Amino acid sequence: MKFIILKRKKPLKGGKPIISLYSIVLGVILFSLILQATSKNFLDVLRVILMSFTSPSIVLDVLALTMLGYALLLSFKAATWNIGAEGQFFVAMIPLIYLLIVKYPEFPLPGLMVALATLLAGIMGASWAMLAGLIKAHTGVNEVPITLILNYVAYYIVNYLVYYPFRGRHVYGYTRTDELPKHYTLNVYLKLSSPTPESSPLYPVLRWAYDITYQLTYYVYWLVVAIATALVVWFILSKTTLGLRLRALGHNPDFLLASGINVKKYYVIALAASGFFVGITSAMYLLSYAKRLSYPIEAQTAGYGYLAILVAWLSLLELKYIPVMAYVVGALRNAGIALQITGLGGIEQSLLIIGTVLFSYSILSFLSEYEIKVMK
Amino acid sequence: MSIDLLWGIISAYATLHLIALGHSVFEKSGLLNLAIDGVFFLSTGVAVFVACSTGSPLVGSFASAVVASGIGLLLAYVMTVLPISHGAVGLSMMFIGYGLGIIFGYPVRMFVGGIATYAYTISAETYVTLLAATLLVSIVLHFLLKETKLGIMIVACGENPAVATALGVDVLKTRLLAAAIGFALIGFGSSLFPLLWQRYWDIRSYTLGLGWLAFTVALVAGRHPLVLIPVSLLFGGLYHSCILLTATLRIPVDVAKSIPFIAALAAMIIYSKTRIGKALLPPTSLGKVFYREERAI
Amino acid sequence: MGAYSSPIISVRNISKSFPGGIKALYKVSLDVYPGEVLALLGENGSGKSTLIKILYGMYVPDEGKILINGREVKISAPRDAIKHGIVLISQIPQLIDNFTGAENILLSLREAGSFTTRKAFLERVKKITSELGIGVDLDLKVHTLTYTQRQLVEVIKAILLDARVLLVDEALTYLPESGRKEFYKFMLDFKSKGNSIILVTHKISEALEVADRLAILRRGVLVDVLSRNDATPEKVRLLMFGVGVNSAHSMVEERGEPAHSGKEVITVKELVVSGDYGEESVRGVTFNVRAGEVIGITGLTGNGQRELVESIMGLRKVLRGKIYIDGFDVTNKGSSTARSMGVGFIPDTPLRYGVALDMSILENTALVLSRNTLLLDLNAVKKTTLKIINDYNIATKNDEVPVKLLSGGNLMKVVIGRELEYAKKALVAYNPTRNLDEYTSSVVRKQIVRKAREEGLAVLYVSEDLDEVMQVSSTVYVMSSGILHGPFETRTVEKSVLEKFMVM
Repeated sequence: MKFIILKRKKPLKGGKPIISLYSIVLGVILFSLILQATSKNFLDVLRVILMSFTSPSIVLDVLALTMLGYALLLSFKAATWNIGAEGQFFVAMIPLIYLLIVKYPEFPLPGLMVALATLLAGIMGASWAMLAGLIKAHTGVNEVPITLILNYVAYYIVNYLVYYPFRGRHVYGYTRTDELPKHYTLNVYLKLSSPTPESSPLYPVLRWAYDITYQLTYYVYWLVVAIATALVVWFILSKTTLGLRLRALGHNPDFLLASGINVKKYYVIALAASGFFVGITSAMYLLSYAKRLSYPIEAQTAGYGYLAILVAWLSLLELKYIPVMAYVVGALRNAGIALQITGLGGIEQSLLIIGTVLFSYSILSFLSEYEIKVMK
Repeated sequence: MSIDLLWGIISAYATLHLIALGHSVFEKSGLLNLAIDGVFFLSTGVAVFVACSTGSPLVGSFASAVVASGIGLLLAYVMTVLPISHGAVGLSMMFIGYGLGIIFGYPVRMFVGGIATYAYTISAETYVTLLAATLLVSIVLHFLLKETKLGIMIVACGENPAVATALGVDVLKTRLLAAAIGFALIGFGSSLFPLLWQRYWDIRSYTLGLGWLAFTVALVAGRHPLVLIPVSLLFGGLYHSCILLTATLRIPVDVAKSIPFIAALAAMIIYSKTRIGKALLPPTSLGKVFYREERAI
Repeated sequence: MGAYSSPIISVRNISKSFPGGIKALYKVSLDVYPGEVLALLGENGSGKSTLIKILYGMYVPDEGKILINGREVKISAPRDAIKHGIVLISQIPQLIDNFTGAENILLSLREAGSFTTRKAFLERVKKITSELGIGVDLDLKVHTLTYTQRQLVEVIKAILLDARVLLVDEALTYLPESGRKEFYKFMLDFKSKGNSIILVTHKISEALEVADRLAILRRGVLVDVLSRNDATPEKVRLLMFGVGVNSAHSMVEERGEPAHSGKEVITVKELVVSGDYGEESVRGVTFNVRAGEVIGITGLTGNGQRELVESIMGLRKVLRGKIYIDGFDVTNKGSSTARSMGVGFIPDTPLRYGVALDMSILENTALVLSRNTLLLDLNAVKKTTLKIINDYNIATKNDEVPVKLLSGGNLMKVVIGRELEYAKKALVAYNPTRNLDEYTSSVVRKQIVRKAREEGLAVLYVSEDLDEVMQVSSTVYVMSSGILHGPFETRTVEKSVLEKFMVM
């Protein structure tokens, strides 16, 4: 019995999205099997995962992962693997914390200050990513280890800043920054009273609907920015020569070079553009959700920078699938937290399932171009 | 220099060196290894788990070697037989490594606490044996890769697997062998981190990025078993001394911890800009998808 | 000769098809007898190379079997073939460049154990080659060897592997005259020991010179097998092509007039460029191309043409010397400088330098033509793309299909159409018609010459096809071992003079 792998003669039924679907399913099954080995019941795990798909706490994750997904798309389309979104995410917070918490907690035009700080966050993210791009352009080393190493350096830099210059004056016992002044936060608070009493059978459904709506309005500024990001990224990729060149870079850098483009410059541009939107996302995260940073960073990060890689890949690098996969990955992350594997609430939960889903995807993805034939 | 510092540097060197050496053997066969940091962390988890369960650090180290070897075999198999991205599957294994490492190590952390009693004994004998062993392994591997047919087969797979196949080499078998040896070394070396060097294990160890440091060491040393020795010593020594520097130079802990990584980036830049880099090139087909029935134009 | 003894190797009902519905072989059955040379003839796409690859284990057939000395065998990898005594010598030597000749041979030798040392093996092999009287140093790295020397290494490998059936896949085409004679001698010697050779070629003369029998394939089907005595060039041609085809190119007067009055557009001065391994591939080349003229450079592959073309287009570093375009020094200034001056580029490897396979024809065209706009206006480019599709008869209905779905010839047409549109001052073309059918090749050549004559385009036409270069250029150079011989006026020079320079 022999298996031969041949290039496909007919395209795959269902196309590439089927592969994403199977990858998620296979990844979840592998994850559950592994947990079964640590005496967590297979079915319990699956149940928790399914329940996470409807949890209202997903809204935060979907917003973060959608924006980050689009940010990564800009570099992934250019086959430049920005694995450094995690570091760019935190480095971008530096101008925000400095301007809004440390230096100018009071300012006559808070809206202007927030906008300025957000822009600087974007620029900071772009710069950190650009650093990786410049190193790649000049050394020819694969950007994956470079961006990863810069993640570690980023953690240490931000940790140092939180520990010393940015340390809060109004907190005692913990090492963290002060909280963001209320007039700088970007939230809208929905206040509704329930139309039915708590005992009514309709109550859970209404409660759930209310929770979702509450979350969406709470983050409405972020929602608007996320939609704007999607539109801008779409525009760049399909309506500008910059986008065309980034895509060509991803398909065939030799051809791009032969057509007279400085390929090295475009590696840097791809990473910088990606980093910019990571920075904007980071700003929204801080302004709408976190409102402060604690020490050490590694302990509190949700690992969005890494989860977004999964979102981008599972979306097959297509704009329309990003929000869908952001939803799926957000649900998986929440499932990880709910499973309480190690009693911790950070990224640790998500690591294993990111791994199994990504593993499944990287194995199955060849089936879109190739098929397996059995020969006797 | 105090004797503790010397033992520390030897531990650091041995750990980094074995990981970088194993990684180099694997990559010489043409397979890109982005799983290194995950396999490192997984191996540390397995090492403390087995060492605490059996009471023997050596058994812990061998268990790590076996588990890591298994992962290496899986990776080599899928990366050679299927036309998939080395980078993607490697990264996925990095995350799996982090997750599994936590699963192995967490019970130890919770129920055992300090693992110092299960670590290798601190004695001159331990460190000297280790030093000799790492040097011996390097020399043997250097000879193997350069002078014997087996070594030439491994290097051929990394240079041009298609031509190697045409010459009659079984690329899959060769890469599986390189993976088994390479990842066993990675596993063993990684086990030294909690059991010899740090004498401590924490869930957060996965954020240390030691695997990426080893990756850079291998890159900058051209994956050459002998050149790796001074480079591992340099980076190992640097990493180990960093924490000490915080006390003596009174620089913040976080700044000190970032020094090895900034040095790694600097080393990459120096490697690519100087003639040294020109002599220590990566395998020609490193990371390239190996697919046999190609369309020709 | 063994016409009545049993075959040394046979195939029965071998079929193989590829994605896209390409039927490369259909139920081919063939016998090869001990001590004979069987020529496998056919034009491009007849399936001869596919059959050889199946015999050597590089492809797996869809159906059919292979028999060695009457017994069925499974050959699923080259090492299986080698085990059965089948050895392949290809047109492109299958050797690892960074290794020495001896190391390459060591890899193939099954008897050599895993722990055989390099040094011990080198000693052994040196002894054998000196006994055989073959003069190539097996201790040198392959990338330092010439093409002929590399093929010699292949021959030594075949001898050391105790080959019984030698597959020679178009390996004689690029050998210079002297090398070819050596190879023939070796083949006769090989035959006399009772071994066999399957010689794949598309050159009828070559087959008639060495073969005992000729097997002709056409579109994947075995048409006939003739013995040498029965074979005449006309008969063979008829079987290969199906109709009597005039073998000579239609020597239409396509070439341009030498334009001595035009100004210099491309100027190359004492150019020295290194190859992929540090050796100097271009060793001091000087020439210029004026507006309105077509300068040809011909020569066998691997004499520095690739490196010369790449350095002019800014794709390869120049060690010494200068390149000027329109008087402007573009040496080592990158590909953007050359391109921004309106230089078109038709590469000989379109899959590498010519297209992005997954992008559409429209996008591939826009990438080159829309260089100076920020916003992408695909509608403007669409008109041009549709014109290209029409003018060159590209077999597609619309321009939004990914280029990878096009056949090799059509893909090349996309590149040529686009580049001819783009070229305003100069055009550098390297083997532009290699994958095109006769008719389109002629159209392309005419277009290039017309653009030169009517629009003052300076054209550098580099091709391995001597006849073609003589057709289009007014002046021709021969490139050999990194040096240019010439210039020669195509109107007056004798072809044999050029051929002599080609094999120096």
